[in-house]
Amino acid sequence: MGKVFTLALKDLTLLRRDLFAMFWVVAFPLVFGLFFGAIFGGAGDGARSAMPIVIVDQDQTDGSTAFIDRLDASTAINVEPSDDPEASRDLVRRGKRVACIVVRDGFGKSFGGMFGGESLLEITIDPSRGAEQGMLQGLLQEAMYRSVIDRFRDSTVARESSQSSIDSIRADEGIDPIQKAILLTFMGSLDTFLGTIDPAMYEDAMTFDGGGGIETVEVETESRGPTSFEISFPQAMMWGVIGCAAAFAISIVQERTGGTFLRLRVSPISRAQILAGKGLACFLAITGVLVGMLLVETLILGVRLGNPAGLVLAVVCTGVCFVGIMMLVSVIGKTEQAVAGAGWAAFLVMAMLGGGMVPVFFMPRWMYMLSHASPVQWGITAIQGATWRGYSFTELLPSCGLLVGVGIACYVIGVRVLAITDR
Amino acid sequence: MIEAKDLRKTFGTTVAVDGLSLTIEPGEVFGLLGPNGAGKTTTIHMLIGALSPDSGDVLIDGKADPTRADVRKKLGIAPQSISLYDELTAEENLRFFGKMNDLSGGLLKERTAWAIEFAGLAERRRSRVKTFSGGMKRRLNLACALVHDPPIILMDEPTAGVDPQSRNHIFERIEALKNDGRTIVYTTHYMEEAQRLCDRVAIMDRGRILALDTVAGLIAAHGGQSVIEAELDRPPDDADAIDGVLDGTSLRVETDRPLERVAALAEAGLSFRTLQVHQPDLETVFLSLTGRRLRD
Repeated sequence: MGKVFTLALKDLTLLRRDLFAMFWVVAFPLVFGLFFGAIFGGAGDGARSAMPIVIVDQDQTDGSTAFIDRLDASTAINVEPSDDPEASRDLVRRGKRVACIVVRDGFGKSFGGMFGGESLLEITIDPSRGAEQGMLQGLLQEAMYRSVIDRFRDSTVARESSQSSIDSIRADEGIDPIQKAILLTFMGSLDTFLGTIDPAMYEDAMTFDGGGGIETVEVETESRGPTSFEISFPQAMMWGVIGCAAAFAISIVQERTGGTFLRLRVSPISRAQILAGKGLACFLAITGVLVGMLLVETLILGVRLGNPAGLVLAVVCTGVCFVGIMMLVSVIGKTEQAVAGAGWAAFLVMAMLGGGMVPVFFMPRWMYMLSHASPVQWGITAIQGATWRGYSFTELLPSCGLLVGVGIACYVIGVRVLAITDR
Repeated sequence: MIEAKDLRKTFGTTVAVDGLSLTIEPGEVFGLLGPNGAGKTTTIHMLIGALSPDSGDVLIDGKADPTRADVRKKLGIAPQSISLYDELTAEENLRFFGKMNDLSGGLLKERTAWAIEFAGLAERRRSRVKTFSGGMKRRLNLACALVHDPPIILMDEPTAGVDPQSRNHIFERIEALKNDGRTIVYTTHYMEEAQRLCDRVAIMDRGRILALDTVAGLIAAHGGQSVIEAELDRPPDDADAIDGVLDGTSLRVETDRPLERVAALAEAGLSFRTLQVHQPDLETVFLSLTGRRLRD
């Protein structure tokens, strides 16, 4: 066992003295975590980024102003007024804004009318922002509904609208006489109702509860939702883990091509011990990176440690997994260039699918499903689970089990391939 | 003693070593001489157990498995490539390989100091290897094979790519090891190295041993005669009396006794403007055995 530790110590010394490798293992993850944490967190003030849209008010009435004010009051969108519809649409085309809304002339006058006419609200939306499109339509519906309610809260204004509708029905020669009689009867009854009801009771009845009885409940993760650093740091940690695995995979092939592996093979030490030393060094490096990043997270950025014992389990399992992957990657090719190229390509795909670049909740459905096959995602899930999500041990088991299982399988395959190619 | 019996090794369709047998006695410096691709390195790797032969056996001191820990302690290898850690210092490299070979404590310290001295790197012991010249790296590469004091040392092209000064340093050290009674297996494609250092030489080509003997024995058996080439001051008066090929004033004579023959020519009244004597060497032996030069 002493020789295994000596081998591991040698490898850690080599890693520490390799500035290029140290950049990927330490500096890059730290910068990644801080940079994206700051960006997504509004430079760390905790405010969420709102959807940027541009609005052109061609109507310029009290109704259109009230409608725009209602949209602006939403924290989900950031409204930017404009006078130029073409320039505004171009901003969307170029991806600078998510959507452009043009409030056409006549919007305020017809708003709240009982019967539809021409479209007075034009929406141009970035086709690549499908999720935001649905969200924006919902927000527009809400703003319009609230404006209608405001209009009908004043019975005088409401009666003006019903009288206007009665006049329109009477003037329309195209409506079937029987249908016209039914509509006039209904509108007349409504007008009578609006003229006789107690205004206080009427106001109480006209409320908006955010969606017909829907109550929004926050997910229970201790006391608050995750901060941007709690999202970005697990991603950044996985980049550090990947950096370690890549560095050690390359070091194995360097030893093989450089002759030091041969020198070790002639020493009174088994191949298994040599590889165990390499694996131990990789494991210690991964653990060191994860612990270092967690210390920065908790001591400087105030990230929560929901389940410390679970976090130890998550760190160990992530280390085991990527030691195994390192061993497998090291036998992909016979030269340093081949292993570095193919290894980083494999790691990038893992990171891309696993949420190492973009959080999985931003991914399209098909990609989100694929992310379940990536060890990077298991690692992120385990670390997030043990920190701000507050997973129990039982809840951590699926991710941790996959990490350990895949790690052991990869290690065994890598060692076998190396033994075969080394004969 | 090292014994190889009918070793054979192929890589795909390439036969690297084809039925090689040899015996190396304790205290002997044994040379494997051959061009690049002759199978020297593959042979070395099979002798130390780093490669498994497809067939045949290797015995080190009568033990059949060179991968056994007790056998490996007796072996030191200086690979053809510089097998060192560039980011470690000379001393750190030696200490690391010493520990891998079961050295510790005072013995490790003592042997590391010896190896530093052996490599002539006392003043650079704490410098990282990446800052060394090619010759310094070669010397350290050899020292790492010796740090655990093995009785059997295998050196695979130990002077490849070094300057003459470092080469001489390495030769002197190998001669010191030879005088110390170590068994040395030495591969090279430089015939002058084999001639200077080796007690016996096996000439290899295309995975086979073509001839195996002492240097003198090989030359006597396969080297042919010495050649005297001379430019005369004037053509001899009696050209028919000269036993050689005469072309104007140029003379070429083949003989087993070149010095005696030169003396005889001088007594016959020939006056030399230039005189060269070419004695047969291992290059001539290789040419005679294969029809090719060593460095073709």
